[in-house]
Amino acid sequence: MNPQHNFLQQPPPPLPPRAIKLPTAFETTVANGLTVVVIEDKRLPLVSFRLALRTGDAHDPKELPGLMDMLTGLLTEGTESRTSRQIADEVARLGATLQAGANSDYTTVAASSLAMFSDEILELMADVVLRPVFPENEVDLAKQNTKESLKQQRAQPSFLANEMVAKVMFGAHPYSVTAPTPEAIDAVTRQRVVEFHRSKFVPNNAVMIVAGDVEQDSILKRIEELFSGWQSGDVVGDDFPPQPSRTSRSAYVIDRPGSAQANIIIANRGLKRTSPHYFPMLLMHTVLGANASSRLFMNLREEKGYTYGAYSSLDARRTAGTFRATAEVRTAVTGDSLKEFFYELDRIRTEPVSDKEILDAKSYLTGVFPIRLETQEGLIDQLVQIKMFGLPDDYLEIYRNRVQAVTIEQIQEVAQTYVKPDEAAIVIVGDGAQILNQVKPYTDEIEFYNTAGKRKNHPTGSAATSHAAEATLAGDWSLQIDTPLGQSIPATLILANTVKGLSGRVESEMGNGELLSATFDGESFAAIVSFEVAGHTMEAHIAGEVTDEQMEGNISFQDAPALSFSGNRNS
Amino acid sequence: MAEGFKLSPTPIEQFNLANGLRIILCEDHAVPVVSVAIYYNVGSRNEKVGRTGFAHLFEHMMFQGSENVPKAGHFQYIFNSGGTMNGTTSTERTNYFETLPASHLPLALWLESDRMRSLKITQENLDNQRSAVQEEKRLRYDNQPYVNAFLRTNELIFKNPANAHSTIGSMEDLDAATIEDVQEFFRVYYAPNNAVLTIVGDFEIAEAKVLVHKYFEEIPSQPPPPPVDTSEPEDVAMTQEVYHDPLAPAPAFVLGWKIPPRRTPDFYAISLAADLLFEGDSSRLYQKLVKGDESVVSIQGGIDERRGPSAVYIFALPKPGEEVAAIREQIVEEIRSLRTSGPSAEEMEKLRNSLRNDVVRGRQSTMYRAQRLAEYALYDGDPSLVDSELDQYLAITPEQIRSSVERYLDVENRVVLDIVPAAVAEEGESVAASPQPSGEPQQPAAPAPQVPATAPSEPAVEARALVPGSASAQLEPPQQPADPPKQTEAGSGPLHT
Repeated sequence: MNPQHNFLQQPPPPLPPRAIKLPTAFETTVANGLTVVVIEDKRLPLVSFRLALRTGDAHDPKELPGLMDMLTGLLTEGTESRTSRQIADEVARLGATLQAGANSDYTTVAASSLAMFSDEILELMADVVLRPVFPENEVDLAKQNTKESLKQQRAQPSFLANEMVAKVMFGAHPYSVTAPTPEAIDAVTRQRVVEFHRSKFVPNNAVMIVAGDVEQDSILKRIEELFSGWQSGDVVGDDFPPQPSRTSRSAYVIDRPGSAQANIIIANRGLKRTSPHYFPMLLMHTVLGANASSRLFMNLREEKGYTYGAYSSLDARRTAGTFRATAEVRTAVTGDSLKEFFYELDRIRTEPVSDKEILDAKSYLTGVFPIRLETQEGLIDQLVQIKMFGLPDDYLEIYRNRVQAVTIEQIQEVAQTYVKPDEAAIVIVGDGAQILNQVKPYTDEIEFYNTAGKRKNHPTGSAATSHAAEATLAGDWSLQIDTPLGQSIPATLILANTVKGLSGRVESEMGNGELLSATFDGESFAAIVSFEVAGHTMEAHIAGEVTDEQMEGNISFQDAPALSFSGNRNS
Repeated sequence: MAEGFKLSPTPIEQFNLANGLRIILCEDHAVPVVSVAIYYNVGSRNEKVGRTGFAHLFEHMMFQGSENVPKAGHFQYIFNSGGTMNGTTSTERTNYFETLPASHLPLALWLESDRMRSLKITQENLDNQRSAVQEEKRLRYDNQPYVNAFLRTNELIFKNPANAHSTIGSMEDLDAATIEDVQEFFRVYYAPNNAVLTIVGDFEIAEAKVLVHKYFEEIPSQPPPPPVDTSEPEDVAMTQEVYHDPLAPAPAFVLGWKIPPRRTPDFYAISLAADLLFEGDSSRLYQKLVKGDESVVSIQGGIDERRGPSAVYIFALPKPGEEVAAIREQIVEEIRSLRTSGPSAEEMEKLRNSLRNDVVRGRQSTMYRAQRLAEYALYDGDPSLVDSELDQYLAITPEQIRSSVERYLDVENRVVLDIVPAAVAEEGESVAASPQPSGEPQQPAAPAPQVPATAPSEPAVEARALVPGSASAQLEPPQQPADPPKQTEAGSGPLHT
């Protein structure tokens, strides 16, 4: 091998930078108040349309959470001149897309197609925006399916965690609601959907953005033709109760017995998207946890191996926000992870970030910026946010300068203002019995909930049992299983305190088996073992009790009588 | 209707280094960014029995430092230069990719070449990444409803262990991996002659060539890796099984079929038939079951596209109280109708316009193009398929679709997996869960929280796409987002970071 070249030892210097050509947007407002933005982009024979309205889930009637989501789902389910089926078929025949959706601050209807079908898809889009009829049967079907989807969502630990964060962080503010209740879904009527559409879908509250292989003049003309009959109406602002403040640290544990991990979110109050602190916060967030080179990831994953990823998130919306630190960790290191989280949250407050860190963060933010402008979808996303959050029109031009202008002092100032470990809400979705004692050192205020979101008592099997189990049960056990014929079959039982409290396996001449679900109580345990025997899977029940270094118990295969066993811990 | 549709050819320049590394360059000066992708011809199909999950675990090791790059330095260098990056592992290959401001092309090549030349392998890093991978498995598979059931379906469809086991592997096999395994795997599979490098974006060809020579040409080649046998008996032989899923909130089922390899006329025909059956609101099964009968909450499907025998899946989530067997009968009936009458003219038009749309839309992102080019170069030795495969799809006739359904789908030769929620919820109650198969890791090394790259043909995406409530990603280029980002879901730009 050649001796290594010097040029390999250091990262190479960059080539001369290449200029970003920001696309030029033409903007106008038509008579009924609809703002139209056109970006001619002739690189590819494609076009994308997005209509955005400054009304979102937060504007749902208080008694009908989820109404805007349901409405957007129903827009494509029938118009005055087309059935649901016809809309689906026409969009498909163009090879196009047409979808609507809402988040808490705004609602969008998005369409895209090959440029040669621009006229057809735009006409379809206008039809579903202006003339949806919300057929009774479609409303009924949407209600049924939304209720089933809710059940599916509740099976997702991340959904449960975010739901709890929203509830405790936003209080009476409508951002506290992340999903409807089954009762609220039942209460939706066709009439309410029709009225909600009539009052909220008004042109003077909307922006239509077009990007693609179009001629500005002719597309503007076409949009005016299609949307000029759209009646303007009253625009309701964001008249919401204030976000509550917090005065102490507390934990909210959603007990999900058998959960394979603990999903942790540590939340503080954040800021509005238009806050003057936004850019310093963005830099602080980048240093702390925005990506895989940030402090949280480096610590909890690369250093400790607790998780697949640890991040912070800057949730800055139109009227309020949160700042969060989050990771999904294995249950046994829930407490250790909290320790590292609070270490990093304290550190970002008390120590100024280094010169290198702020430079790296600026380089990251300004560097990834053009990547987002590669696609029509990405570019439109940016413009939608400018319009929906009320950001300056030249935001894309000034963005990189605003990032560059942030100082180390400003980062520390916003860290001290917004990162408040003593007022944090710690939300954890996981196996409550195994988590309780791990959380206790970090707060005295711990509330338990079930996965339906209802308050419950602290779980009975405490983490003390878990640690006891680790000490008393974990290990390799040499056992002798007694058969009815007086034989003795040697087996090894390997127990470890891991994911579901207790896991492990059995190895014997009869085959090897996996402990699928185990429960334990002090010195005794019970589990189901799945054996692979000659290519077949057999289940057995096993139970045992430990006294010092001795174990006794029994194992039963399906309907066969139980076989007793006894043995010792291997040293 | 689409006469006059003509796509300009993708400008491709390819060359090989003496050590066998294949390079594909594609200039595009629209946006000042550059995307680099390296594809190694090794995936879970190369794994030995007892070492499932190893290719993916190894992929994590590639971020743990090399002679001149410290542990986790790869993340640091890329992000701190304003780039995004990731790596993924599938049955077929392991890929590593980054998009950076155009001026940082040398950095990307330096980083990729240093780890190809001199990966640093330590016990400490192996233990650490083993933990990260095991948390990935818990996060994406073991703690999610329905996902592990998919992996089980694969085990039932495929008989050859090379095809049947999952990319995420089993916890035991991950535990068993040794440092010697890592070293040997690196030597055998991570050689320049077993890889393809693509560069797409704002750069000059001549300059890129100089850089590629500079950083890669002295890396020694290795003997070719041992051949992989992915052969399968054609039949699945009607398999039905019940899968107890402790996390599933409601019963569901999966149907699965074994189909011919990618890039064959039969594969194209079947995948178009599959689109007609389950792709989108206009699809036959959606219209029949979700809208017509109102018997299922959702129906989704996917294609696991491989160089060897491949697979098609359908996942259905019945409404409470609906007869599962009756729903399956309806699905079979619809498949039979497609076999009897073939697709309509309207359906053919829809397929063709949708194929055209996807190909054009996929050209927008330099990373997506870099990945497609690498894939075609690695699997087929022909990156120009990035343009011409469309013509092969467009050439499929209604009769080919009809007869492919007859031969492969309208048969008893399928897997039926009934997913039954194991009685959960009640605390302390012990639950008999089915054994966990292992999973397909997606964007494994580090989830890129900001600008997720679209993985072109990841079987894993299939499985994920089929999980109710998750976004359908599949083999598609970036599409119009269905919804604006909900609350803290990773933002889509500097405006929503």
